[in-house]
Amino acid sequence: MAKRKRDLTMEQQLARGPMDLPFLMLVLLLTGIGVIMVFSASFATAYYEGRDPAYYFLRQALFAGAGLAIMYVISKINYQTFRWMSVFALGLAILLLIAVLIPGIHTNRADGVRRWIAVPGLGTFQPSEIAKVAVIMYFSARLSKRNTEKPIRLSPRSNLSGIVGWLDKIGFLELIPYGLILLVIVFLMKLEPHMSGTILILAGAAAVLFAAGIKFYWFLLGGGAMGLLLALSMQGYQSTRILVWKDPWAYRQEGGYQIIQSLYAIGSGGLLGLGLGKSRQKFLYLPEPENDFIFAIVCEELGYIGAAIVILLFVLLIIRGYWLAVHARDRFGALLVVGITTLLAVQVFLNISVVTNLLPTTGISLPFFSYGGTALMIQLAEMGMVLSVSRQIPAPKQE
Amino acid sequence: MAYRKKDRVIRQQPDRRANRTILIRTLILMGIFGLAVFVPLFFRLWQIQIDEYDKYRELVADQQTKDSTVEANRGTIYDATGTPLALSATVYNVQLSPKEIIACQEAYQDKVEEAKEKGKDPPDYPEPTNQFIAENLAAILDLEVDDILARLAKENSLYEMIKWRVEPEESDAVQTFITENHISGIYLMPTSKRYYPKGSLAAQVIGFVNPNVDNTGAYGVEALYEEELSGETGRVVTAKNGVGTEMLYWFEDYYDATDGDDLTLTIDATIQSFCESILKKGVEQFEVQDGGFCIAMDPNTGEILAWANSPTYDLNNYREVSDPVLLQYIEDVKNGGYTKEEAYLKALEEGATSQEAYDQAVSAAVYNAQLTQWRNRAINDTYEPGSTFKSLVLAAALEEGVVSESDHFYCSGSVEVAGYTIRCSDRQGHKDQDLAKAVANSCNPAFIAIGQRLGAEKFYDYLEDFGLLEPTGIDMQGEPKNDPVSAGLIWSRDFFTSAEGISSLATASFGQRLNLTPIQMLTAAAAVVNGGHLMKPYVVSQVTDANGNVVQHTEPTEVRQVVSEQTSERCRTILEKVVDGGTGKNARVEGYRIGGKTGSSEVGMEEDHTLVSFLGFAPADDPQVIILLAYDNPKPAFPGANSTAGGWYISGGNMAAPMAGELLENILDYLGVQKTYSATADVLVPNVTGMNLATATSTLKKNNLTLRTVGDGDTVTGQIPAQGASIPGGSEVVLYMGEEVPTDQVQVPSVVGLTLEQAQKKMEDAGLYLKAIGAADYSASTAYEQATAAGTLVDRGTAIEVRFSDSTASGGGGSGL
Repeated sequence: MAKRKRDLTMEQQLARGPMDLPFLMLVLLLTGIGVIMVFSASFATAYYEGRDPAYYFLRQALFAGAGLAIMYVISKINYQTFRWMSVFALGLAILLLIAVLIPGIHTNRADGVRRWIAVPGLGTFQPSEIAKVAVIMYFSARLSKRNTEKPIRLSPRSNLSGIVGWLDKIGFLELIPYGLILLVIVFLMKLEPHMSGTILILAGAAAVLFAAGIKFYWFLLGGGAMGLLLALSMQGYQSTRILVWKDPWAYRQEGGYQIIQSLYAIGSGGLLGLGLGKSRQKFLYLPEPENDFIFAIVCEELGYIGAAIVILLFVLLIIRGYWLAVHARDRFGALLVVGITTLLAVQVFLNISVVTNLLPTTGISLPFFSYGGTALMIQLAEMGMVLSVSRQIPAPKQE
Repeated sequence: MAYRKKDRVIRQQPDRRANRTILIRTLILMGIFGLAVFVPLFFRLWQIQIDEYDKYRELVADQQTKDSTVEANRGTIYDATGTPLALSATVYNVQLSPKEIIACQEAYQDKVEEAKEKGKDPPDYPEPTNQFIAENLAAILDLEVDDILARLAKENSLYEMIKWRVEPEESDAVQTFITENHISGIYLMPTSKRYYPKGSLAAQVIGFVNPNVDNTGAYGVEALYEEELSGETGRVVTAKNGVGTEMLYWFEDYYDATDGDDLTLTIDATIQSFCESILKKGVEQFEVQDGGFCIAMDPNTGEILAWANSPTYDLNNYREVSDPVLLQYIEDVKNGGYTKEEAYLKALEEGATSQEAYDQAVSAAVYNAQLTQWRNRAINDTYEPGSTFKSLVLAAALEEGVVSESDHFYCSGSVEVAGYTIRCSDRQGHKDQDLAKAVANSCNPAFIAIGQRLGAEKFYDYLEDFGLLEPTGIDMQGEPKNDPVSAGLIWSRDFFTSAEGISSLATASFGQRLNLTPIQMLTAAAAVVNGGHLMKPYVVSQVTDANGNVVQHTEPTEVRQVVSEQTSERCRTILEKVVDGGTGKNARVEGYRIGGKTGSSEVGMEEDHTLVSFLGFAPADDPQVIILLAYDNPKPAFPGANSTAGGWYISGGNMAAPMAGELLENILDYLGVQKTYSATADVLVPNVTGMNLATATSTLKKNNLTLRTVGDGDTVTGQIPAQGASIPGGSEVVLYMGEEVPTDQVQVPSVVGLTLEQAQKKMEDAGLYLKAIGAADYSASTAYEQATAAGTLVDRGTAIEVRFSDSTASGGGGSGL
């Protein structure tokens, strides 16, 4: 009877709390600006491809609408359910990462890169996008119960007990499942290959691990290992990237062209920009102006002021994300939000760094801005998760 | 807490320490990813967008704009009467874009397939295959099919120029071909071409433009007035996209081209053509080997009326050698002459095969021929003026008062100066002669004497005053600007006035051993006859801008007064006698008073190389035109011969003078100078039959004839003499007004031994006319021979030729000097 009186459980009631409005507003603002910028940046491309100039815009707007709907739906879900979902999500991500390697499933590209799976009606999507969220979800779920995990108890007489004890003490044993998951994913992604995606997954995972309290030196160690790996792989194709990065003008043919055109676009924007829609660099100069390099068009059209405002909005969104994490109702919520927020931050930072030639070129898109329907939907879905967490934040006590 | 157990999710346990860790670490992450990493981005953007803004804006402007030039229209060159001599027109370059043609071919294939799918007819025009395009273009443009195919094979090329500056009919045909066959990728790019409507007319004066260097003037006025003619090139700045396609709707900026100024020359196309044809005629008639020149000038202003050179060429096709003499030269080189060519020997020395050396010799010959025909020799080169120079010496001597008309000179046929024997043209000597006669005879010993009376210092003063030691300053390309003394063309004053210079004074007196440009000679001679004013010659009278505003107008400029009006008048009188019975008598034209001076100069030390010339001006009492006509190197019949194979005696008097006479008559007719007839000058009887009396009277009066009527009708029914008869001016024409024309014949009376007046009276009485020939001055002569013997029956009104003997010796052609 008592149950009937309270139709909703406390959990359910909590899940019906209000979304965090500042976060929601920032997301809507960025999505709106992003879609408009896609229109501006893409109409020349569409025109020269013989399409309707609004082609990319309409598609992007459609996906944004769908994405916002998905975001809302997800925000309505009690995020606690993500705990058990995370296992399946991770399983699905790994399956997809394997599937994308199979001929016939991935899209055929001249360069032989296998990153995309075609979905009829939606276009293409990258399994790595799913993997990003899945890793963050699973790691958050698992790490939130860190304190309840039973330490491995070997018989004190076992030969290994000393080593295991030591490994346990330094926290190594605890890391083994995470490490294995990451190794599998990195290995699969290496086969695609997809370095930028790998970096983002590792960044998201590292953020969750870090926030969960994994000891600092593991990050130093991990970072060192990554650095070493990078240094070792700095041969051929990869080392050309460094050379191009250092002096794009000297390596115009080897990939410098795009970065030069990007710098031209940014530089010619000046303080106030050429005005919305008035970019000149998008007319077949800057390759993919609606995609990874859309920020260059933002700079060209909106100037330093406009670009700074966009970055500022991102910063606010990120800070608000962390704020939500700090105030989350439980550790799972906190870790989930930290992971998603950090992923977003890293992605924004890397994209803008690449566009401004602060870092060597990698194919990282700008969240909310870069053209790509599925990526935008997944992005908004992630935002939905954050919002879902925000619903359960207890209102401050009114004194 | 029972419901918890139903939960599928295992709850985390509350753990204050873990929560605290997460809080701290999240705050750390917030510090890093929420703040720290974005700071460098702001700095980086500031650096690119603000600090380096100017650099990028410039780079981008460079990249995003297409800066195409708009050629200014080159100015037109007009002659003095407004006839265009050089003008520019738009023509087209034919350009292929293989890349676009491939796209066009693919589009055609698509259309064919689409038509097939939909069951429609394929396009109603042929497939634009490379072969199809090449064949058609080759046919239109007169090119090789294979060449065009080779160009089309450059698949990535955007620009392949296949023919430059095609004529309008060709470009129209190409345009039609493009339109009819829906081909994209063939372009007609506008450019300008220079046309010379009068072909070779005044070729060396006008010059031509070099189409390979943006149509900049290469020779002549085209080169000298390049700045005025060319105008200012304009620009069109348009936006273009990443593959270079213009985006006209985006933005476009025009910087207007300023069209070039038009030039109006003092050259009169008609007079120019007179000069050119007379030059050509003489070159052919006298077998002239090194061409010649003919300049006509208005002596009062210095305006150049015509300026002809031989050999010449067609300005529209300036590389082509068309002059027969030059063609012969090239032919000679080809047929054996090449062995003597420098280029041939040099090539052999450098180890070329004989065929290569031959080719080089031939191309060098063609090149030489081109340079020769382009060259304006009448200003670029100097020559020894010969006896024409005597006109200047005469003026100087009269001005200084060292001679007068009453002075007499004796010529024995030669004279000795400083150990050299200088011979006169007349080996027998001209004997005693007054000043006018000495000039008319072109007597060298007389002029040596005149030169000596003048003295070296004075003589040299006049060289300077006549402008022979300085450029004339004419606005013509190629006048030597160097000092003629240091160039060895004229003696220095120090040498000339020194003791060793005495023979120089002698030779200078008859115009040898000193080198002048023809224009210098003509300008100086003009000063002799125009009242003593040395005028600065010019060819461009006016520069007008594209809107017709006069930018520059050349006013006649007097450099200095060299001799007085009186001296000039005396010179004219004396020089008129040169034509009126002197060495220049062949230049005589009935009705016009022509003055002049012949010249036959030995060129350098060459054997058998004579330059024959004539300096003429008319009318003698008020010169309107002065000409200098010269033929260089008429070919003697055999080495050492003094006449050509055609029997022409090689001298200025026998070659240049008759041509000059014809030329001056043409020019004076054209200038509208009325012929004035002396009492003895013959005129042609015009037809007046059928006219009324008043018209007949005025017609006859115009022809310097008087009339007498027989009968009292209103209309002239007959006339004696008939139309076309040549009778002395002032004679009476008998008009029959209704009366029968007598058809009886009359007897020719004998007039031998009578004076002109008596003879005329006698002939008139007999119903005949007297035509006096032979002597220049009839006042002092008597008839000694009549062409029709006394007693012969002739038609009434016939003109009977009667030769009068001259009391003075008639001057022969001035051979040598």
